[in-house]
Amino acid sequence: MPAVKPGGTGIAAEAGAGAEAGTPGGGWLRVHPASPFVRGWFALAAIAFFVGRDTFERMLRGGPLIDQDIAGRAPWLLLGGGAVLLLAVLGYILGWYFTRYQVAEGYVRVNSGFLFKQQRQARLDRVQAIDIVQPLLARIFGLAELKFEVADAGASAVRLAYLRIGEARALRATILARASGVAADPDHPEAVVAEAPEHAVLSVPPPRLMGSLLLSEQSFFVVLGGAVSVVLSAVTENRSFYFYLIPAALGLVAAYWSSFNKGYNFTAAISPDGIRLRYGLLDTQAQTLPPGRIQALRVSQPPLWRIFGWYRIQVNVAGYGAAGNNGENSARTTLLPVGTFAEVLTMLSLVLPDPGTTDPVRVFTAGVNGLAPASGSASASGAAPANDGGFVTTPRRARLLAPLGWRRNGYSATDTALLIRSGRWWRHLVLVPHQRTQSMALEQGPLARRFGVVDLVLHTTAGPVAPRLIQAGLEEGRALLEAQSARARAARRRQTSEHWLEQVRPPVAAPAPAVEAEPREEPSNKEGPHHG
Amino acid sequence: MHTEAIDPAGITWLRVSPKYVTVRVVGWAAGNLIVVGLLTVPLVMVLAGAWTWPPLWLAVAVPAVMLLLALWRLLLIPRQVRSIGYAERDEDLLIRRGIFYQRTLVVPYGRMQYVDIGAGPVERGLGLCTLKLHTASAGTSAEIPGLPAGEGARLREQLSARGEARLAGL
Repeated sequence: MPAVKPGGTGIAAEAGAGAEAGTPGGGWLRVHPASPFVRGWFALAAIAFFVGRDTFERMLRGGPLIDQDIAGRAPWLLLGGGAVLLLAVLGYILGWYFTRYQVAEGYVRVNSGFLFKQQRQARLDRVQAIDIVQPLLARIFGLAELKFEVADAGASAVRLAYLRIGEARALRATILARASGVAADPDHPEAVVAEAPEHAVLSVPPPRLMGSLLLSEQSFFVVLGGAVSVVLSAVTENRSFYFYLIPAALGLVAAYWSSFNKGYNFTAAISPDGIRLRYGLLDTQAQTLPPGRIQALRVSQPPLWRIFGWYRIQVNVAGYGAAGNNGENSARTTLLPVGTFAEVLTMLSLVLPDPGTTDPVRVFTAGVNGLAPASGSASASGAAPANDGGFVTTPRRARLLAPLGWRRNGYSATDTALLIRSGRWWRHLVLVPHQRTQSMALEQGPLARRFGVVDLVLHTTAGPVAPRLIQAGLEEGRALLEAQSARARAARRRQTSEHWLEQVRPPVAAPAPAVEAEPREEPSNKEGPHHG
Repeated sequence: MHTEAIDPAGITWLRVSPKYVTVRVVGWAAGNLIVVGLLTVPLVMVLAGAWTWPPLWLAVAVPAVMLLLALWRLLLIPRQVRSIGYAERDEDLLIRRGIFYQRTLVVPYGRMQYVDIGAGPVERGLGLCTLKLHTASAGTSAEIPGLPAGEGARLREQLSARGEARLAGL
């Protein structure tokens, strides 16, 4: 039962318990009957491919369609094959028949299995993200898979594959409405909840996506690898190892294709239920991240992207977990695959509707692009000059430890989030909302002690972002640990409920129009100065 | 016990049991002596004349260096154990450790998901236990080893009670 945390039962009975049909069996639904075949198509296609290829080759050779040797045994083979196929299909169908789901009483429940029964329930207000995934084949049939993520960081808590796309959307709307704290209509508990209105914020044009891939880190290594192999072949006069580069090249093509396929047609939108992301060329995916579910965020810029002023945003979300080797998870934890600075500010305003500072543009600009003056006056107990957005950087005495980065490595705290910036060439800005801080640690090695600096590590849920403030001055670091504990404590007190419409929040964040209004005006007044 | 430079001001650390040194020494012996023993095999073989390679100086030097490193680690153990400390504050638990590589950890009670108590065979024989705190982050790795069993139980109850009172969502 991954969704239920100890001690968290105090707010369990809120989402209209008793109003909905609570008896087991009431409102239980099955996934779409075609699902077994859409899920099992790969096995069927593989069988068809091998049988078909064999037959086809014999036809090309002019032989009989069925091999002479096995012609006598053909009935038995057919019978055996048919039995296996029948069993497989029966297994799929039974699996489908015995898998039923229900959304009621603030829980989503799934019962599955016919030999080994499994009952799973996940609390709706613990939802961390909801994804609707459409692999190519499912897309052709108008079906979609719904993934419901809780803070488990393992496999999805609930996967419903496949539903009709309309059903999946309606179910998502219902789950999000219940989770947000909208009580069901007591007279019509089964009434369909209208999908929350959404407002498109930005999209990534395909040319820019291709450009970003060509200028990405991996392209750098491709060029480097190519140059090395050319030099090597010239020096050793050995041509044969070009042969070994073929698999590497194929792998690279696959990697580029995967990034392109996942990032194609990326659009972001905002709704009262949170941030909506859609992307994909062949397989499409629509993610919904409810408000406050982003645990940490990183804006980064590889060196070559600076030519066009592009940035990437990645996030930690409790349900998504760490990015594995498969491209799927790295796509899911990407909030913006490539965007301009204005778009970065827009996304930041969605993630952090209340930036906690009077001049967010200046602070974020300093965080993404800023550099402390070389004089080192910025390190003097937080008295940073006005043009560096309040960032406190590595003290000048430690510049030998980070000859390039010492003017860049720094932090700045607003009322709602801690910003950590680093990297002179590979620029990074990490943002952790105070509410989301789990625990913190100061770390210091012998060399750092010699220079009187200390690292501050913020612990967050598994994901691509690992917030670490490097080489802060000793006094600043200690003060920050105390101050940050106090800020996180105050922020936790403000967050009273996981139903985001009920949360006591600053007025900026509560109603949808305010959230929508913000990105509207921001690009207009930011575009000018940063793209001159 | 003096307070190190990176610790927050005004903290009185509670130290773990000195008996934990024994636990660490047993662990040290299990690891290092086996390694040194294995590395001594070539020396014995060379001395016995069974092997012609490696040269004698190498066969002596490798285990000798390993032995010195191991002894150094052994000498550090009492200081390392003394450097482990924890402090309960009103809202959070502080844990520190390390001499060369120091770390001071702050875990808010409201962020604790659950508390583990474990004891290995050596620890159990000495009446000690290890307390582990888990938050939603895998990076927290908050561990207090070498607690007397009674203190461990008290701390667990205390932490659970405080955590329940302050539990926050993710």
